[in-house]
Amino acid sequence: METSGITWKNLSTLILAVGATAFAISQAPANDEAIFPMPAGKTYVEECGSCHTAFAPGLLPARSWRRMMGELANHFGEDASLEEPRRLAILKDLETLASDSPQANMRMRRINGAIPANTAPQRIADTGYFKYMHDEVPKHIWQRKKIGTPGNCIACHTRANEGRYGEREVRIPQ
Amino acid sequence: MKRLVAMIALLATQPAAAETPQQILDALVAQAGPASAARGEQLYRAKSAAGKTANACTACHTDNAKAAGQHVKTHKAIDPLAPVAQKDRFTDPAKVEKWFKRNCQEVLARACTPQEKADFTAYMISIK
Repeated sequence: METSGITWKNLSTLILAVGATAFAISQAPANDEAIFPMPAGKTYVEECGSCHTAFAPGLLPARSWRRMMGELANHFGEDASLEEPRRLAILKDLETLASDSPQANMRMRRINGAIPANTAPQRIADTGYFKYMHDEVPKHIWQRKKIGTPGNCIACHTRANEGRYGEREVRIPQ
Repeated sequence: MKRLVAMIALLATQPAAAETPQQILDALVAQAGPASAARGEQLYRAKSAAGKTANACTACHTDNAKAAGQHVKTHKAIDPLAPVAQKDRFTDPAKVEKWFKRNCQEVLARACTPQEKADFTAYMISIK
């Protein structure tokens, strides 16, 4: 005897399956969601994030961070010296999570791929990937008082200190 | 059991290592002698020829210490400096010392004296 095509049982299975798939899609990070691993604990954000955004280590290769952390007495014209144990701990985190570290994610690898191997850039805004990602931002936006410079990530990427640079979380101040 | 209670009590008091602005001022006064909020305000507003990036405290913290400031170079927003407007200001002695060290060097190209620190802290506390 043939059963009819739709029964309560297979209908509920279908609804469950569709629901579960929709849930899975909504939970998965969107393709444009740029999320970088950040050092654990508060030290990095407290020490480095007081004067500027606590930049995600994955925005630069380890050789850039090594040079930067070796020149803290003249850090872009300021003395940002740290006590040696703290400096070494932060450097270790930066190296571990750098764009050329073994566990770098796809986006970090793309960032790294745009940085010539014989250079150790110190300004993230000078790197090819940054320029490519921001090429649609007109000059007058950068000049807004609350932004001022391309290094002020957190002005627009409100969760930059958590390593989150996703487009959906961008809020450009007026 | 008594020991356990004591340990729990000890643990519970640990985060209270944070101090009040008045306690921080008292510690500075103990080193320097009586503090003057008026002298502290002068220091806060004084222009310094020695400053490389910032030529005064007000360059980043603005003329009004109750207002949010902005780093003169990186443009990062800075929370208000006056405890009346930002309750965690002047509650952590290590943090206070760290920023006197950094910012006195930055603006004045020298360390601040205990007297200057006491005066400055007295001024910040006096802001209502």
